[in-house]
Amino acid sequence: MRILLVEDDPDLSRQLKLALGDAGYAVDHAPDGEEAQFLGETEPYDAVILDLGLPRVDGVSVLERWRRENMASPVLILTARAAWSEKVAGFDAGADDYLTKPFHTEELLARLRALLRRSAGHATPSLSIGGLRLDPRAARASVNGEPLRLTSLEYRLLHYLMMHQGRVISRTELVEHLYDQDFDRDSNTIEVFIGRVRKKIGADRIETVRGLGYRLTCPAGEADPETAGT
Amino acid sequence: MTPVGLGRPSLARRLVLLAVGWSFAALVVTAVVLALLFQQAALRRFEQTLGVLVDNLIAGSTYEGGALVAPAFTDARALRAYSGLYWTIAEPTKEGRLLTATPARSRSLWDAELRPPEDLLQRVRANPGRLVTFDAAGPQPGERLRGVARIATIDGHESVFLAAEDRAPIDRDVRNFVAATALSFVVLGGGLILAVFAQVRIGLRPLFRLQGEVAAVRGGKADRVQEAYPTELEPLAQELNALVLHNQETVERQRTHVGNLAHALKTPISVMITEAGQRPGPLADVVTHQAEVMRQQVDHHLRRARAAARAQGPGERTSVAEVLDELSRTLERIFQAKGVIIDWDAPDDLWFAGERQDLLEIAGNAMENAGKFGRRRVRVRADGAGVGLLRLVIEDDGPGLSPDQREEVIQRGARLDESAPGSGLGLSIIDELVRAYRGSLTLGASPLGGLSVAINLPRAQA
Repeated sequence: MRILLVEDDPDLSRQLKLALGDAGYAVDHAPDGEEAQFLGETEPYDAVILDLGLPRVDGVSVLERWRRENMASPVLILTARAAWSEKVAGFDAGADDYLTKPFHTEELLARLRALLRRSAGHATPSLSIGGLRLDPRAARASVNGEPLRLTSLEYRLLHYLMMHQGRVISRTELVEHLYDQDFDRDSNTIEVFIGRVRKKIGADRIETVRGLGYRLTCPAGEADPETAGT
Repeated sequence: MTPVGLGRPSLARRLVLLAVGWSFAALVVTAVVLALLFQQAALRRFEQTLGVLVDNLIAGSTYEGGALVAPAFTDARALRAYSGLYWTIAEPTKEGRLLTATPARSRSLWDAELRPPEDLLQRVRANPGRLVTFDAAGPQPGERLRGVARIATIDGHESVFLAAEDRAPIDRDVRNFVAATALSFVVLGGGLILAVFAQVRIGLRPLFRLQGEVAAVRGGKADRVQEAYPTELEPLAQELNALVLHNQETVERQRTHVGNLAHALKTPISVMITEAGQRPGPLADVVTHQAEVMRQQVDHHLRRARAAARAQGPGERTSVAEVLDELSRTLERIFQAKGVIIDWDAPDDLWFAGERQDLLEIAGNAMENAGKFGRRRVRVRADGAGVGLLRLVIEDDGPGLSPDQREEVIQRGARLDESAPGSGLGLSIIDELVRAYRGSLTLGASPLGGLSVAINLPRAQA
């Protein structure tokens, strides 16, 4: 397993390299944002540990650019910034986990293991309709290359609609597949979720079929790469 | 208009008093001058008429047989007894007095005499060829006469020709004029006072508007004062905006400074903890413990600085739905391994009257607790709750707390800060922030099975 460690503090870098090496990882170290940017785009890492307060280019910008370049490795942010606004910004930039300083090495190693385990597993192909793309492996979706910010239920709803493109799906069917057994099954809330997802992906991508349900459509003028190719 | 205490200086009162005082003085002086001018004009006309009579007397009188013969007048008023119009041709005596008991006088005098003042003879002699005016008592009781006199020499005899008339009609005219003038000036004065009041009210209106705007800035409904004010107030509005901006910058600078200091300390603390962890021993134990104390101190002061900065800063408003959406996405990633699902709902037009960062901290920590202690499910609902309040309820499906435990957590309240990390519920940050916003925090049991945390916070106008 090859890990990229991005950290500007020399003492902490030395300690983490030592601890990660002891745990059996091969570690590359980048002391600033520019080098991290370059290494992340050119070398295949299994995971990245990223500090946010970096010289030259800050961590969030590095991460955002990686994600735009379709760099798929899981990223764990390691930072002194513990405010929720900073966590939200980190995750929105494409982080997979977030650990605040000061931390215990064991905690970091445990988080790293969980991250690697998650990213291994599933190898489902990505789904797309028009400019809308959904990558089940990373649980991420995007519209025309712009990453979408979806909550779990919104993601599930979109995922289900994309798996059944072109078909009309009733509210009841959505309720059945969206919620676990022990959830309140209120079909009215589906409308709320459809409304929120429409706001995020564009209202014309989900069509309401009166009396029947909803259908995912490709907006006029937007070529569907799946059908256009064949 | 804002009521003002009597002892305090008031702009409105000052302006009204000045305008009323000046108008009153001007009106009174004008009225007196007008009345005097009118009276003089009336008297002059009166005296001219009498002057013509005197001229006719002089022209018509002759000496016949050593006695002065006055012309015969046909004027009815000079013939009728005590009619009010009288004339006499008096003779100066050797003693320097005026003999008025002469036969040459108007019939209207009947058996009475016209009695001019003692000094009349001197005055007519001093003004030969010109009319001299005088006041005298008339033959009737209470009758006041105005007269003119002139000295003339007829056939070598010096005589003084006097004519007088009851002045009651002009006195009455002058009185009527003064009364009419006074009345119209009172009406004019009243109108002026009303106009001054209206002028002051309308003139000072922008000042009251500015006051309202400043209150709105302080209350967080606006972030600055509009600068479209009259020329005199515009610099004040601009200065106020500069002050607001300066205040915001100061708060922001202070916050950034404290934040940078605290964050800068975190990496060295991490290094100490990691280094100590890699070299076990008694020294490492001490370092680990002390580093932990330092970490708590840093967190504590970071939060305190933020709370202090908030108390000074002007208010803002934050969309509740946006914050809940962001937090749900973030927390679902944090709890991805556990598979926590956050089900949130909030009206789009629900606004928190405070800073975004603070709502993120309050809701973020409460939702993180729910994700940590719940099994898989977190439900978040936000809605308006009464005037100026919003209610945020965060529930989980975990084991929850017994009523006694809930009571204990609430009782600990402000002391939660001192509790060791990990041992408490992490409610300290929420509690501190909610208090800073004068909100409230209550714990209960959720129908989902776990803890229900209800938070009341100030709500901003949509």
